Amino acid sequence: MTSYRLQTGGLIDRQTPVSFTFDGKRMLGFEGDSLASALLANGRQLIGRSFKYHRPRGILTAGSAEPNALMTIGRGGRTEANTRATMQELYQGLEAKSQSRWPSLEFDIGALNTLLSPFLGAGFYYKTFMWPAPLWEKLYEPFIRKAAGLGKATYEADPDTYEKCWAHCDLLIIGSGPTGIAAALTSGRSGARVILVDEHSASGGSLLSETASIGDVSASVFVQQAMDELHSLSNVQILTRTTAFGWYDGNVFGAVERVQKQVALPNVALPVERLWRIVAKKALLASGAEERPLVFGGNDIPGVMMATAMRTYLNRYGVAPGKDVAIFTTNNSGYALANDLEARGIVPVAIIDSRPDGNSAYAGKARVINGAFVSDAHGGKALSSVSIFKSGIAETIKVDALAMSGGFSPVIHLACHRGGKPIWSDEQSAFLAPNGLKGMELAGAVATTVGIAACLEDGANRAAALIEGLGFKTSPASFGTVERDIVSPAAKPVWNIPGIKGKAFVDYQNDVHREDLGIAVQEGYGHVELAKRYTTNGMATDQGKLSNVNAIGLLAQARGVSPAEVGTTTFRPFYTPVSFGALTGAYHGEHFQPVRKSPLHGWAKKNGAIFVETGLWYRSSWFTRDGETTWRESVDREVRNVRVNAGLCDVSMLGKIEICGKDAAEFLNRVYSNAFLKLPVGKARYGLMLREDGMIYDDGTTSRLSEQRFFMTTTTAYAAGVMNHLEFCAQALWPDLDVHIASSTDQWAQMAVAGPKARLILQTVVDEDISNEAFPFLGAKEVSLFGGQLHGRLLRISFSGELAFELAVPASYGESVADALMEAGRNHGIQPYGVEALSVLRIEKGHVTHNEINGTVVPADLGFGKMVSSTKGDFIGKAMVAREGLTSSERPQLVGVIPLDPNTSFRSGSHILEKNAAARLENDQGYVTSSAFSPHLRSTIGLALVKRGSERHDEEVMIWNGIRNEFTPGRLCNPVFVDPENEKLHV
Amino acid sequence: MSDFRLVSKPALSDRTPIVGKHISLEALPEGHVILVMGKPGAPAAETQPVSLSDGQPNAVRTAGPGQWLVVGDQPRTQKEIEALFTELGADIYGVDQSAGRVRILVHGTMVERVLGKGTSVDLAATSFPVGSATVTLIGHIATHMTRTDVFAFELMVLRGFAESLWDDLLEMCKEFA
Amino acid sequence: MASLVPCPHCGARPKEEFTIKGAALARPTPDAGTEAWMDYVYLRDNPRGLYEEYWHHTSGCRRWLVVTRDTATHDIEHSRDVALSQLTDIRP
Ligand SMILES: [Zn+2]
Repeated sequence: MTSYRLQTGGLIDRQTPVSFTFDGKRMLGFEGDSLASALLANGRQLIGRSFKYHRPRGILTAGSAEPNALMTIGRGGRTEANTRATMQELYQGLEAKSQSRWPSLEFDIGALNTLLSPFLGAGFYYKTFMWPAPLWEKLYEPFIRKAAGLGKATYEADPDTYEKCWAHCDLLIIGSGPTGIAAALTSGRSGARVILVDEHSASGGSLLSETASIGDVSASVFVQQAMDELHSLSNVQILTRTTAFGWYDGNVFGAVERVQKQVALPNVALPVERLWRIVAKKALLASGAEERPLVFGGNDIPGVMMATAMRTYLNRYGVAPGKDVAIFTTNNSGYALANDLEARGIVPVAIIDSRPDGNSAYAGKARVINGAFVSDAHGGKALSSVSIFKSGIAETIKVDALAMSGGFSPVIHLACHRGGKPIWSDEQSAFLAPNGLKGMELAGAVATTVGIAACLEDGANRAAALIEGLGFKTSPASFGTVERDIVSPAAKPVWNIPGIKGKAFVDYQNDVHREDLGIAVQEGYGHVELAKRYTTNGMATDQGKLSNVNAIGLLAQARGVSPAEVGTTTFRPFYTPVSFGALTGAYHGEHFQPVRKSPLHGWAKKNGAIFVETGLWYRSSWFTRDGETTWRESVDREVRNVRVNAGLCDVSMLGKIEICGKDAAEFLNRVYSNAFLKLPVGKARYGLMLREDGMIYDDGTTSRLSEQRFFMTTTTAYAAGVMNHLEFCAQALWPDLDVHIASSTDQWAQMAVAGPKARLILQTVVDEDISNEAFPFLGAKEVSLFGGQLHGRLLRISFSGELAFELAVPASYGESVADALMEAGRNHGIQPYGVEALSVLRIEKGHVTHNEINGTVVPADLGFGKMVSSTKGDFIGKAMVAREGLTSSERPQLVGVIPLDPNTSFRSGSHILEKNAAARLENDQGYVTSSAFSPHLRSTIGLALVKRGSERHDEEVMIWNGIRNEFTPGRLCNPVFVDPENEKLHV
Repeated sequence: MSDFRLVSKPALSDRTPIVGKHISLEALPEGHVILVMGKPGAPAAETQPVSLSDGQPNAVRTAGPGQWLVVGDQPRTQKEIEALFTELGADIYGVDQSAGRVRILVHGTMVERVLGKGTSVDLAATSFPVGSATVTLIGHIATHMTRTDVFAFELMVLRGFAESLWDDLLEMCKEFA
Repeated sequence: MASLVPCPHCGARPKEEFTIKGAALARPTPDAGTEAWMDYVYLRDNPRGLYEEYWHHTSGCRRWLVVTRDTATHDIEHSRDVALSQLTDIRP
């Protein structure tokens, strides 16, 4: 293939060749090339197929708006689809593959879609695939998925790391073209904290593609000098390869830095991408303007390119676009290109200028045809000629490259991300940023300033004003004279080009052409938001950067209104696609969420615990012993051992809250439904917390350690919520109460010691007398341990129904104390038990958890009616708990349930039916909330919420699992299966 | 069992400190951490904690309106803590958190960059000078953060989260360690 | 992606540090009657514009705030400590 690389020029390093492959074919580029410029230098124009019609496509731009040159880069877990070749820096060994083609780029079967195109027009998904519905899954969707053109993600894990970070600055400058550089110099010299971001690999923006000079040096040398100064300023942070993709509340900007996307093998100590959240006191948007394509037939044939892009390839990369180049322009941008081409020995074959008067300042050699249009470009995989339409007379010219410029659209996306609507300007033929932006200003081309000199001045002035507003002293930076500055003011746009014969594309990426928009208007979808969805214009990954304004112009003409009246669709983040990796940062795998470990984790582990995640905690499920092959064997043993000997269970993850103050008792009296005011010092009490709607929120025990100090426990699941709730009550509801609340969950390692031998074991470590007389049921006190070596808190409470204690010791001593208890209990048969056994024990005893307290129950439903005080003046939930409906006799009530045949079982979630009732929803009597195998009863047992349940003990019922279609005959019963008289608690 | 040898096990006992030219990470001794709670704005509540501290720099740190943390490397006995609570006076309450909160020291010239990966707080010395303290999320974990020197921050975290925060910090330090 | 919420004690912090409870309504007295309580527990305005909400600085100073937020623009007009308002009123 012919080389299109010029012998000299460009900002590439010709001493450093870079080898890469495209679709397996080896090619050479230079250090400093983009993948796109290297492909062009290798004579490669055809680089992909289009999404719907699989038309051959070439490189259209030199930046992030590129709709065509999407490629799959890399291999294995580093495969990245849909990379824009125009943004990808070339590196040694880069592997690029084209997309949207099968079986090959040169011969593509999908291109037959072009012949089917009458059926693939606007709304084709809706029309074609409406009926018959069953074919959708089998036929249409697989077909569309296969045909749909974007690249495929890899199934392999990404081996690289990503991170997120915050940055703060006085002034954030977005874009480092002439405007951004002038702004950065001005603000940086004042000492303000400045961050300058640019999406490209090098700072400089359009200056890197310029042939102009600034103050006697070339534009690129000017950039070098300015950047050297900025790099020397410690208050200025320069982020290249960093796309500011969104503007958010609080003047926070999201930006993604491609830290190591330009290397084959990333350094493992660094992330490949970094997601920045930049908090800026002020921001200056200097994002420039995007050149618009022109909508003529065959405007997508490889060889057709934006004029500024062609200029970039020529000047920055030293790549000639072709031998016979034509330029189709509506403004002066085309002439800057014509001059540069001529300077490199490529005199354009023609400049086709839509303006009747053209550009009188042009003094080059090219033939200029004023008042003319390119109506059609011709060729298949490469451009061969263009048809020129002037006053009804057609002329065809042989060309191998065509540049186009339909005017410029300011890149206002970020300015619209916080809800502001863009405003159409007839004078500028463009949408401009909303007025009255807070925290952001615009400067340079995005604010319709044209020419290098004017942009330098605008950037300096606006930055100076912003920085002075923040209290810094500064004066706008000044610069030398700009020579050969081509000023390209806005010109009259051309939406509808006369004489078109071929397909004229508006949205290249989604294959939307001119006629599609016409159909949308004809069929009543002319509103901009409807047209977008009907035609899919602007809905591709480029979000219509090149296509939206042309689409709006065409809709406006079809409807006979102005673009202002058509309006535009909403700009939303992200400006360009952001990888999931960057959004995830380091928070995946083991770091997905924090792990919360009990102080007894090490103790549990060495005793054989199998852990389960509950919330963020790792809790011991059960403790496997030698010879046990199923979890049930272990759990049954642990349960039996608690009932016969004693067990030790880690309950450190229960929420623990310290409540102090003169009004602490009054406070508790208001947050619990039952009475706490007169709880004696040294006593614990079971309490119910309600929500304001009367439903139970949480339960737990609270002990009074001294007159003004209480120790509350909550359930593990609701520990954080209860703490927030108590703070709300103290701060928002009753700020006049003297109460102070502190979480002390992590301070204590807490152990439940339960079973007939619990006291024997505990007494060996507790210095005080803990006999039934000295320390009866519901006792609570601070105790001395191990002959005064340690201090802890001892509660005599029981979840299992056995004689039981809970001992809390400072967390760092937890493991040691648990070891001591195991040692002391060895001869008494002590064994550790986990949450599975804990759950069986509590179901046997009929104790409720959040399985029963599920947000739909009031205290009376659980038999706790007496725990709702009728004498207290106020407590949370008081006003609503007594209302109609919550006191109805038909309400579900807590009841036990057992199968008639102990060899059968049932599951939680099963529903209760009357014995002979049909299995239908209207016969539903309630449902099983908890179930377990009870080693004590040698049968499955359950707790259930059943209509009038407390009156229906001994009733035979059917337990129905509708999902598994299981029916288990059963019987309702007292929910307390073990020791209903509570004799064991008081021994 | 008064002869049983009780052992206190630090939360980060099996984590190895990192010592680097630009960043270092170490677990601090589990001495004492006492939360003092008074009425926001009451002058006694402001001054009392200072008199009870060990007098080292940054021994008293703000922890929200009307709350302070009194922090030191030496453990305090139950008797000392009870005596301290009594000294606090009528309207001020103390809660012992010595075992409930774990301190990690991050220091080195890159410390602001490292912590900036976790917290949104502006760590520039002009806006968060030495002696400043606040609670903030570092990644997903709520952390009490004190600047103890130009290039040194102490992070105090609930014991259960200590290993997790440490492991996150290791990742954050990686590029500078 | 990001939203900063001004805390009168801690300064601007990302919304992830906060828990939102919803409308900042005054709790009726226990004997205010069914209608007042039904309103308090269940009924909410849904204005386009300024709205007062309870926000809790959960991963920060743990104070409850009343945040006045514009539901259309997300602009926060005002933020104060629910109990210490005289000390802490801030307008960003
Ligand atoms: Zn706060």
